[in-house]
Amino acid sequence: MIIHSANRRSFLKAAGVCLALPTLESARQVARAGDPEATPRRMVCIGNEFGMHPDTFWPKQTGANYELTPLLKPLAPYRSDFTLFSHLDHGLKGGHFAIHGFLTGVKAAEARGLPGGGMSVDQRAAEFVGSRTRFPSLTIGSEYGLHGGCQMSWTRTGTRIPPIPGPRELFRQLFVDDDAAGKKQAEERIHLQTSILDAVLGDANSLKRTLSRNDAQKLDEYFSSVRDVETKLTLDRQWLRIPKPKAPIDEPKNKGLTLDLPALYELIALALQTDSTRVATLEIAEGFVSSALGIKQGYHGLSHHGKVKESIELLVQIERYQVEQFAGFLDRLRSIREPDSDGSLLDSTMVLFGSGMGDANSHTNNDLPIILAGGGFRHGEHKAYPKASNRRVPLCNLFVSMLQRFGVETDQFSQGTTTLTGLELA
Amino acid sequence: MSIPEISIPLKRILDFTFLVLLLTMTAERRVSAEDATPSFEAVVQPFLKKYCVGCHGQKQQKGDRRFDALTGRIVDDNSLVDLQDILDQLNLSEMPPEEAPQPTADERRVAIRWLTATIENYHQTRKASHQAAVLRRLNSREYRNTVRDLLHLNMTMFDPTTTFPRDQTTEHLDTIGDTLVTSGALLQQYLNAAEEAVQKAIFPLEKPEVQQWTFRDGFRQQPEIDQVHKNFNGFKHMTLYDVVGADKPEGAYGPIHAFADGVPHDGYYEIRLKAEALNRRHDYPIEFLGTNPDEPFRLGIVAGHKDAGTLHLTQPIEPLLAEVELADEQKWYTVRVWMDAGFTPRFTFRNGLMDVRNLWGKLAKDYGDRFPKRKTKGIVDNRINGITHGNLPQIRIHEIEIQGPFYDEWPTAGQKAVFGKNFTGAIYDETLAEGNLRNRLTEFASAAYRRSATSQELERVMQVVNARRAAGRSPINAFCDGLTAILCSPAFLYLEATDETARLSSHGLASRLSYFLWSSMPDQELRKLAASGELRHPEILAAQVDRMLSDNRADAFIEGFLDSWLTLRDLGASPPDRNAFRSFYHYDLDSAMRQETRLFVRELLEQNLSIDNFLDSDFTFLNKRLAEHYGIETSLAGNEFQKVSLTDRRRGGLLGQASILTVTANGIDTSPVVRGVWLLENILGTPPSPPPPDVEPIDPDVRGATTIRDQLEKHRSIASCNDCHRKIDPPGFALENFDPIGGWRTSYGRGKKIDPSGQLSTGQTFRDITEFKQLLLARKELFARSLTTKLLAYSSGRHVELSDRPHVDQIVANLNARGGGFRDLIKLVVASEPFLSP
Repeated sequence: MIIHSANRRSFLKAAGVCLALPTLESARQVARAGDPEATPRRMVCIGNEFGMHPDTFWPKQTGANYELTPLLKPLAPYRSDFTLFSHLDHGLKGGHFAIHGFLTGVKAAEARGLPGGGMSVDQRAAEFVGSRTRFPSLTIGSEYGLHGGCQMSWTRTGTRIPPIPGPRELFRQLFVDDDAAGKKQAEERIHLQTSILDAVLGDANSLKRTLSRNDAQKLDEYFSSVRDVETKLTLDRQWLRIPKPKAPIDEPKNKGLTLDLPALYELIALALQTDSTRVATLEIAEGFVSSALGIKQGYHGLSHHGKVKESIELLVQIERYQVEQFAGFLDRLRSIREPDSDGSLLDSTMVLFGSGMGDANSHTNNDLPIILAGGGFRHGEHKAYPKASNRRVPLCNLFVSMLQRFGVETDQFSQGTTTLTGLELA
Repeated sequence: MSIPEISIPLKRILDFTFLVLLLTMTAERRVSAEDATPSFEAVVQPFLKKYCVGCHGQKQQKGDRRFDALTGRIVDDNSLVDLQDILDQLNLSEMPPEEAPQPTADERRVAIRWLTATIENYHQTRKASHQAAVLRRLNSREYRNTVRDLLHLNMTMFDPTTTFPRDQTTEHLDTIGDTLVTSGALLQQYLNAAEEAVQKAIFPLEKPEVQQWTFRDGFRQQPEIDQVHKNFNGFKHMTLYDVVGADKPEGAYGPIHAFADGVPHDGYYEIRLKAEALNRRHDYPIEFLGTNPDEPFRLGIVAGHKDAGTLHLTQPIEPLLAEVELADEQKWYTVRVWMDAGFTPRFTFRNGLMDVRNLWGKLAKDYGDRFPKRKTKGIVDNRINGITHGNLPQIRIHEIEIQGPFYDEWPTAGQKAVFGKNFTGAIYDETLAEGNLRNRLTEFASAAYRRSATSQELERVMQVVNARRAAGRSPINAFCDGLTAILCSPAFLYLEATDETARLSSHGLASRLSYFLWSSMPDQELRKLAASGELRHPEILAAQVDRMLSDNRADAFIEGFLDSWLTLRDLGASPPDRNAFRSFYHYDLDSAMRQETRLFVRELLEQNLSIDNFLDSDFTFLNKRLAEHYGIETSLAGNEFQKVSLTDRRRGGLLGQASILTVTANGIDTSPVVRGVWLLENILGTPPSPPPPDVEPIDPDVRGATTIRDQLEKHRSIASCNDCHRKIDPPGFALENFDPIGGWRTSYGRGKKIDPSGQLSTGQTFRDITEFKQLLLARKELFARSLTTKLLAYSSGRHVELSDRPHVDQIVANLNARGGGFRDLIKLVVASEPFLSP
């Protein structure tokens, strides 16, 4: 495929966006002017590295009257706002090396060639949002941690968008505008990069003529990258002219992920409230240390508890802290009103909480702990799916339901080929 | 659709990824073995029927192999895989399993001869070569090194790739073109990184003035200890206690808060400081503090940046700039270090204390009589006592002077590389006008593209320059923008693979060689040899390998290849438990382990020692702390590494090295399965199939008297598990004497003894690691093939396929004839057809 400049320019024009003033409310409304949806749909995905201790997490009963287990207790006030799903997973194996498939349904090394290229559900949603918000998505996390950490968020090309490391950086992205000189510099850079893209596209076209068919296909990645960056620069230029919303809080300090969780959840809530983004992903991995909770033994070590009672107790203490912070987030979303609707921000936001690890002690990736809150679904139950290996339901069916709810017209996602049976709208 | 319906077909394909590649191959060739006497029907078919088809036939297909329908003709790649598999298993005596009836030596020999001849014949008559794409982009390491060499940048603390999406790997290799994807996110980073690198290389145009800063007091460090130092010494000096590996360090990084903005320009700075080493010989038991009274204290200077986090804590980029051995008494020291603008020096205690935050309490508890009584027993009062009356080993810094920047040359090497010799003319006399400007860009582009830039390419760069001029940029700035554009071109980012005739071009060969051995661009000499075509001469090629391996840049091969082959890049990805493995953090064993393996490999390369040394050796490289970790008595002192000969062979070869033993554990405990799989994959090159879908996982239970070995015995009693675990577990058992950081142990604690003995699937038994290594050496052919395959894949940027097998076998045969030297192996790889072809 050889792209000519003229076509490309008109393509970019068509990709333009309609934007205006960004106070907390007005920005959203103008941004929504060309948006057919009445209420924008939002999605937040939260995951950790070691899952939840199964014996302390799973209730014995199913249905609406299940008894809250110690790890679910912090969620008691929101009981009617979430659903717990058991026996869902992706059928993956590999322990730590498979948890990065949590939101994709497939291991990265095996994703190439598959439709969707191993894209994660949050990035599929972000693609759908496109230019309607300043950030198509925000991923908070790290590329490090145990064997690369959670690595939940994957793009269509099978790469990771470098994640935002902490609350300070997230705050700056959301609320801190460059000064006049900085903006001018940014404009300059966009001009420079646009003209560079013109030149290198020419280089790529002439290189392509010399390549074998396989190599030419490989180079297509470069062509689509050029298109992606061109679109992004066009959007950057427009967003540059629109001030970011005024920060309702002071810039937080980074204190390490454990202690940063409240600040990160608050910032994600603000990002949704200001419609700066509609898709956020939080990877609880590197930097989440148990010592910040006054526990001497390491988190990873405790997850290999070997069924020793004392270790399990400490592990549950760490996991409970994560559930408490998650509960705080639900509380925050419920307290914010979604404008132009009767509901709260929680009603328009699907919040997925879970892990790609089923049982850390045995390093298995089946029976993942999965909670879905908000988003306008009918909640309040513990739904158990078939346990038998020949009747299992793929977790990706839940992702299909979430994508449809988000507005994406699809009945497929990775291993999912239909919506999740039993999950209905409120 | 339910999971099994999806995942089984998928899994089958994934289990045999190599088959996927093969199935895409086109030509179906029929090769019969008629020339090879006797016939399939006469000897091989009855052999298979008698010894193989029971498990690999109509009823059962163990390991997904079925041989009852084989005709003896290689009709497609599936039948090739089957025959090659049978041959390999027979050669190894791995099959039939020992409990099954065994063929006689004669039967085995005849079958092997027939299979070898048939497969050889097939390869000879077959033309199709590999089908994988060969176009590949630079990975992050290569990008970093290339920018360094192109622009002559000092990369000590400049890394434009930190925000790049992480490169994906396959089979741990980070050089496989197929896996190195380009995305919008990456291209955006390329655009930013190129601009950043060019600006760094060229500006400022004027040599900055030398400045001087002096610090004599006001040495606040961090809140916890400042509250004590305020009254104790009024911040008259800086005091260092902890090593940088401490958990919640106190006095591990001494920052100069008055110099938090750092140096004004990139350049060399002279740091003078007056320091003393206090209480090196203390009166506590040595184990109590863990410092070595016989060793001088080592002061380290590391870089820090105020925007990268708190200056008194660990930061992501903090290279060690200099290290000084201190005399005990106050003395002046001077070092010259490179610092980038904005970075500030921080002072560290390399062989200091560990976790003084915990030590304060321990001092109060164990040595309470040495301290005055205070109101509380809390950490605040304990810390006051510890600092003021503890007489602990510590480094004090009384005065610091910083002067700079200085330069080895001005204009800098980078400025000269870009502007040519007449830098001043280019900058001030407007000689950077049209003609000259284009020449300069052509030269730079040709270096960047690793071949002559074409006039069309230059035209496009000029368009950028002109557009930027039109937008009001100065000539020099517009010129820099042209350079930036060059660094974003696919001609720079992708390694050239083929020329018009679909051969690997001379320049492509030069690049392949330099990215293999240097992970960076070809230098002038290589490019010259490529331009003249001489590089293709076998003697010249071999001579270049020698030259390149003796260059410092070859360190990048050692690091990059070890990361890709032995997964050493994951060392530290699973941090050892702090309570169980304090020494790991106190003595920086992490760095020491890496260093041991790198020095070991460098020795094999430099001395051209046999690759058998990887399996077992009578030497290794140790510093004092690593020797202590191994329990080896040496006369070593300090941090220096030395070659140490091993009389006790437990530590011989890679399998005795802590780096390998740590990277194959998870920091908490060890698993014979994980280590066994690692060994089969990376040392023997015979990865086991993944576990079948419905198998019950092992759920570790350490409460009772059972060991992991007992649990595995149980696992192996299930037939479907046993097929693979009989191969996986035994090597893992042999390594059980090594704890998760490679320390020697004979028990798991709680009275549970370790049994390191085992039996290979061939029936051979071993008592411990030393005997196990002897059995490994008996299979060194397999190891040689595995290592060769890795080298070929790493260097050619594509996976090694079945059609490469004859080349691999040829390399191994030639290597054996030459004595097995590692350097010879590199040369044989470079001279092989897969390396020389696209």
